[in-house]
Amino acid sequence: SERMSKFKNKGKNSDALRRQRVEVSVELRKAKKDEQILKRRSVSFSLDESVSPGEDKKSEIPELSLDDIVEALNGSNEELQLEATQAARRMLSRQKDPPINQVIKLGIIPRLVEFLSRADNAALQFEAAWALTNIASGTSDHTKAVVDGGAIPAFISLLSSPYMHISEQAVWALGNIAGDGPMYRDVLINCSVIPPLLALVVLPLPSLLLQRGSYTSPVFQVGFLRNITWTLSNLCRNKNPYPPADAVKKMLPVLVYLLLHDDKDIISDSCWAMSYLTDGFNDRIQTVVDTGILPRLVELLSSPELTILTPALRAVGNIVTGTDQQTQEVISAGALTVLPSLLRHAKPTIQKEAAWMLSNIAAGSCQQIQQLITHGLLPPLVELLEKGDFKAQKEAVWAVANFIMGGTVEQVVELLQAGVLKPLLNLLSAQDSKTILVILDTISNLFLAAERLGETDRLCLLVEELDGLEKIEALQNHENNMVYHAALQIIEKYFSGE
Amino acid sequence: QRVLLLVASDVDALCACKILQALFQCDHVQYTLVPVSGWQELETAFLEHKDQFKYFVLINCGANVDLLEILQPEEDTFFFVCDSHRPINVVNVYNDTQIKLLVKQDDDLDVPAYDDIFRDDEDEEEDSENESDGSEPSEKRRRFEEDVIERTMRRRQRREWEARRREILFDYEQYEYHGTSSAMVMFDLAWIMSKDLNDMLWWAIVGLTDQWIQDKITQMKYVTDIGILQRHVSRHNHRNEDEENSLSIDCMRIAFEYDLRLALYQHWSLYESLCNTSYTSSSLKLWSVQGQKKLQEFLADMGLPLKQVKQKFNSMDISLKENLREMIEESANKFGMKDLRVQTFSIHFGFKNKFSASDIVYATASLMENIEKEGPETTNFIKALDSLSRGNLDKLHQGLDLAKKQLRAIQQTVASCICTNLVISQGPFLYCSLMEGTPDVKLFSKPVSLCLLSKYLLKSFVCSTKNKRCKLLPLIMAAPMDVEQGTVIMVGIPPETESSDKKNFFVRAFEKAADSTNSRTLHNHFDMSIIELKTEDRSKFLDALVSLLS
Repeated sequence: SERMSKFKNKGKNSDALRRQRVEVSVELRKAKKDEQILKRRSVSFSLDESVSPGEDKKSEIPELSLDDIVEALNGSNEELQLEATQAARRMLSRQKDPPINQVIKLGIIPRLVEFLSRADNAALQFEAAWALTNIASGTSDHTKAVVDGGAIPAFISLLSSPYMHISEQAVWALGNIAGDGPMYRDVLINCSVIPPLLALVVLPLPSLLLQRGSYTSPVFQVGFLRNITWTLSNLCRNKNPYPPADAVKKMLPVLVYLLLHDDKDIISDSCWAMSYLTDGFNDRIQTVVDTGILPRLVELLSSPELTILTPALRAVGNIVTGTDQQTQEVISAGALTVLPSLLRHAKPTIQKEAAWMLSNIAAGSCQQIQQLITHGLLPPLVELLEKGDFKAQKEAVWAVANFIMGGTVEQVVELLQAGVLKPLLNLLSAQDSKTILVILDTISNLFLAAERLGETDRLCLLVEELDGLEKIEALQNHENNMVYHAALQIIEKYFSGE
Repeated sequence: QRVLLLVASDVDALCACKILQALFQCDHVQYTLVPVSGWQELETAFLEHKDQFKYFVLINCGANVDLLEILQPEEDTFFFVCDSHRPINVVNVYNDTQIKLLVKQDDDLDVPAYDDIFRDDEDEEEDSENESDGSEPSEKRRRFEEDVIERTMRRRQRREWEARRREILFDYEQYEYHGTSSAMVMFDLAWIMSKDLNDMLWWAIVGLTDQWIQDKITQMKYVTDIGILQRHVSRHNHRNEDEENSLSIDCMRIAFEYDLRLALYQHWSLYESLCNTSYTSSSLKLWSVQGQKKLQEFLADMGLPLKQVKQKFNSMDISLKENLREMIEESANKFGMKDLRVQTFSIHFGFKNKFSASDIVYATASLMENIEKEGPETTNFIKALDSLSRGNLDKLHQGLDLAKKQLRAIQQTVASCICTNLVISQGPFLYCSLMEGTPDVKLFSKPVSLCLLSKYLLKSFVCSTKNKRCKLLPLIMAAPMDVEQGTVIMVGIPPETESSDKKNFFVRAFEKAADSTNSRTLHNHFDMSIIELKTEDRSKFLDALVSLLS
């Protein structure tokens, strides 16, 4: 593979090594993300019945047929318009099989969009906004139908509605549009969605409430803020292309502010935003590092909440794929103190991410490798190799490979003394050829180090004692040609004496 | 598959154990027997054996706590629980994989309905799953109808449901009481399998009688169960009656009887038995001079010479014994003792050995709580168990001797407590504490003896006091437990009233009082109304109880 050829290529710089890790992990993530698309999260959203003007009459509203709805919507009676919009919204909000396609086919989207601007009828605005939100929550075609109906500018101006629940519904709708992918995300950004959106957060809340009227429930504020955070995270999300750098620079200070909130959903979504923003080139990483948010992100690595820990670890893990200097910032923020417990975390996914992070730090300078040793990371690394989840073991193998390649002879000796060789050799029985190749390559590197110390015989003996020779010999029958060659090379070079 | 048999230290448990052992022998089931005297021992025994055993039978222990919670067993471990303690923990009731309860079908358990106490929280789980798995947020979200109203409604409903659940469980767990004797349940099992033998039937009788003597069940329940057993007795002992002349030395015969409620009288003197039986001693108020005088009058009324009354019952003139029961009953009626006659059973071994069921209960219980140390902890248990086998007359006689000592000790302690006004009203309950140095105090560090003492004392107190309010109060009794560790053993018993349902509310009260005062208590006994407590914490614990129950 490409990765292997680079790896074998002595003298390559560690940045290149890291870049590769990113590509691999990005692939993994994308696969995971694809799985997630079908899952919809129903965020808790508290809204008092009385706050929603359309809700009080719930029981009186008769079931309308689709034809009735079209007729009423296109008519001029405002009461009937509201009733019909509400009926449509209700269908689109039911748990099972919302009739999104049928509603689109009715051709009522432009009319609903028109209702968004009826500032004189807040109830109608709200119902239309909700209905359109739910249409936009479907497939890309569904979202496209809403955008094509001209909803983007209408929703952006609704962000400044004097009614909080309408403004919130607009935030939600825009979040769905931004979540569709990089194209609509950038359309939104070009339509200047960011300034009014940020204004909702940045306004000190008490004055916001005064200005906007009577909704004073603190739960309500949190719910609103959650929606804003989620929409912002969607504006940071996706690549090919990444969101424009100047947009990111505008959002970052607010995300930093949100990350300091104490609501765990808000923290979680802003952490995810950070993980999107740190994914990619080093200049993107630098933009995030420059906000000074690293200590907070590292602090969140100790969170007992998986919803916070997962994105925080991803963000920090992304940052150590950057330059040595960027990696050093992570180390200085104290990440190595929590890393051992993350390597021992009960969740395999956390183990894996933590090991991935470790492997990238091990790809750094000798000084950084030394920090790994002083922070006691060798024992958990060896443990992980011994009995971790297989995906985590693979990452741990990479960590060992990078360590042995970049470490000084003394550091390598210390790794061996920590007992790394036995579990490493054991993993030669793994099913995964890539992993086997990395291990064989690492063994070759070990022998090179041993040669320098004049300790080749001792290493041979050690490998033999740990049943490693047996395993390497067995690999000469491996179906993968590269595995076979690598195994053969080691045998011939170091074990053909007798 | 070898079975581990965990058996509590009470006579009913021993009887159930004997029946089960006989059944095991019948079916060639291998087992190991481990006696357990409390929760700590149960836990230790489980931990010690859990690797070798998959099947555990628990007798008179385990039903009233969440076993899976306290023992944390592997999934392939199974518990068969035959336990008269009520209420049965709801998790044990509704667990249909690892916990098998042996209860009589017609026992009314009053268990709350499943849906009232357990809830399959699909929605909540969905939420928390999404929240806890740390997956990436969804890119698009639909806003559901229920977000607005239904969620609030659901939350409200859930709160209401939870409040109701707490109430239901509170009602259900409020009182400790006892269900059908485990020995009877086990006998039922044997009968259903058509493997019931006369010996087993006898053990079932002794088990039931134990419940009655320990005052664990209502009079009504006792009489009903006696009726059930009586049918089995006539079924099993029918043939023997025809062959009465051919009684052999090893033959055994059970008979239903209306017998005198006088403890051990056939193995004692009538006089001693009258003095040391709770019913007669409290009715006649034997702790007082007037009471002693009344006893003389009672004996004179029966026309029994004092010399005869005071000699061993066995040696009494045959002529006197002939109509003895009727004579005693007649006089007892005059002296206000209308319930001297009880329905019970007796057993004949060969020609000359006759025991009533209560004799066996007293003897076995005394062997179990023998305070003379004769070997390792389990010696008493094994000896008591052996005394139930019909070949072991010497052990049985030793038990009878111990039982007499125990009854005398109880009666003397009751008398001294009443005469020295040691029973004090604390407001919501009566309280009596035995001091270190009281004669026989060591005996009363044992739960069964302490419970008997408490019940006898309460009965006597109710007869002695003129305070009508006090007659209706429950009693808490404390005795020194371990002087070196500075602990007392404490038991709470329900009020002594004729219509008493024998339900004990002290379990929850003890728990709460201990919690609120941080008292160092140990709830180690299977009867949870018995606790151990650090002596220093006693007064604050009692204060808390008073304010809790006032």
